[in-house]
Amino acid sequence: MTFLHYLRIWLTSARYSIMRTLMFRGDFFVWALVELFWMTVNILMVSVIYEHTKSVAGWSKYEMLLLVGTSLLIQRFLMGFFWSSIFEMGRNIRSGNFDFYLAQPGNVMFMATTRKLDPDSLVNSLVALSVVIYSAHQLNLQPSFLAIGCYALLVVAGIVIHYSMLVLCISFAFWFTSAQGIEGSYFTLSEFSRLPREAFKGLANIVFVWALPMVIVSNAPAQMLLHGFKPSLLAWVLGIATGWFAVTVFVFNRGLRRYSSASS
Amino acid sequence: MFSILNKYRAVFLVGLQSNLVYRMNFAVRGFFSFFHLIVVFILWSAAYTGNREIGGFNFGQTFTYFVALIIVQFMIGAFNEDYQISEEIRNGLINQFLLKPVNYFAYRFSIYASARLVTGLLILIPVIVTYPLLKDYLTVPADWWRLALGFPALLMSAVIQFGIAYCFGLMSFWFLEIQGLVVLSMALESLLGGQIFPLDLLPAWLFRVSQFLPYYYQMYFPVAIFTGRLSDPSAIMVGLGIQAGWMLIILAIGQFLWQRGLRLHTAVGG
Repeated sequence: MTFLHYLRIWLTSARYSIMRTLMFRGDFFVWALVELFWMTVNILMVSVIYEHTKSVAGWSKYEMLLLVGTSLLIQRFLMGFFWSSIFEMGRNIRSGNFDFYLAQPGNVMFMATTRKLDPDSLVNSLVALSVVIYSAHQLNLQPSFLAIGCYALLVVAGIVIHYSMLVLCISFAFWFTSAQGIEGSYFTLSEFSRLPREAFKGLANIVFVWALPMVIVSNAPAQMLLHGFKPSLLAWVLGIATGWFAVTVFVFNRGLRRYSSASS
Repeated sequence: MFSILNKYRAVFLVGLQSNLVYRMNFAVRGFFSFFHLIVVFILWSAAYTGNREIGGFNFGQTFTYFVALIIVQFMIGAFNEDYQISEEIRNGLINQFLLKPVNYFAYRFSIYASARLVTGLLILIPVIVTYPLLKDYLTVPADWWRLALGFPALLMSAVIQFGIAYCFGLMSFWFLEIQGLVVLSMALESLLGGQIFPLDLLPAWLFRVSQFLPYYYQMYFPVAIFTGRLSDPSAIMVGLGIQAGWMLIILAIGQFLWQRGLRLHTAVGG
């Protein structure tokens, strides 16, 4: 019952976002092009590096493309489903407009972070998926249904992890009122997710692979597709997804208690 | 003549002060640039494993290129000039310049110059702090002629950087929303300006084509002169010629857009 309730709310928001997009078609077109172009830049970088070398940290060109495609796929989904809402949340907390969400019929974190869809990112997720499929085809991969299922599950876990990290960062606005620079920091950190895990050594391995999850988020699904089902990897990623999500919910609710609207 | 210079000197000084106020913003940006440098380091050292050279350059030379790129970016990069100009047009703030003997291009350029002076000097702090970590990987060529040719290239790059941002900002006379266009051109600039990878790693014919585009002279050209990726002085002289050409073309386009745009502009209110 509750699930259906939230699904209905979400579908209403989605319908509203799509209608808005249809009103500003030119805008949709330009932003879809922007994202497409940035994705192409990433893919070109891989191609140029592999013009000069056969392997990077043991990954061949198409293995690397599969990794980059996976990382872009997760990012597109995050941007498509949550980015605008999460980004606005920071501003709303500062301006006091966050009151609006407190009065809505549902969990505040759900309401505040799922209000807007970005159809341009969702369209581009198809492009990212094509990169993954194309690379898998070039590698002659014949993944089992289990591997494909796990890949999808890991991508979802990846979205949960990215979502949690972003909401966590923005939640600090409850304390500091300013969450500026989060946008830039997210994009810089997401650069790490396009690197193979084997390239990280020493301190970098501890920080970016073990302490922060961005490297494993994209590496795990790619590895699952390349090398088949690995239960320990699946358990690890699902574990950190649950952990980060729990911490985020806790911090968000703590912050919410501090929220006192804004004086004007 | 001196009174004209004095006018823009005042603008420059005000710009200097307002940029010092926002030093925290700068600190955040500088901090994340170094994260980007970590990504560059990890990626390229993995690519160099098993290859002594890539495109004729060793790891130290390539890493030096990326470090220099960040420094030069803070020295001459146009960050949000296009956005500021666009806001001034949309909010009607440019109306005041139409009534006063102030050249809008010179006014904006003075602010840009003061902003880059501040960020260009501030970026040296993290570079000096991290120098003990970086120094084993840096290879800076010690040819004096590089400075003699590199500095004019750097100056013209600054004008091209600002000029492109200025033109995009002026687009606000025609379009309500230019943010999408700006991000699109940013992607193009980072790719063809050599910020994603050194342009000399492109296939030879593409590298040749890139040398005739303005983006090449926006960033790659001066950085490649300083870090030794370009080593033929006579070819660099030709490059300086093409760069000067692009600089004049972009300035002319800016002037054209300003004049055309003003015809469309309506100043409302008082």
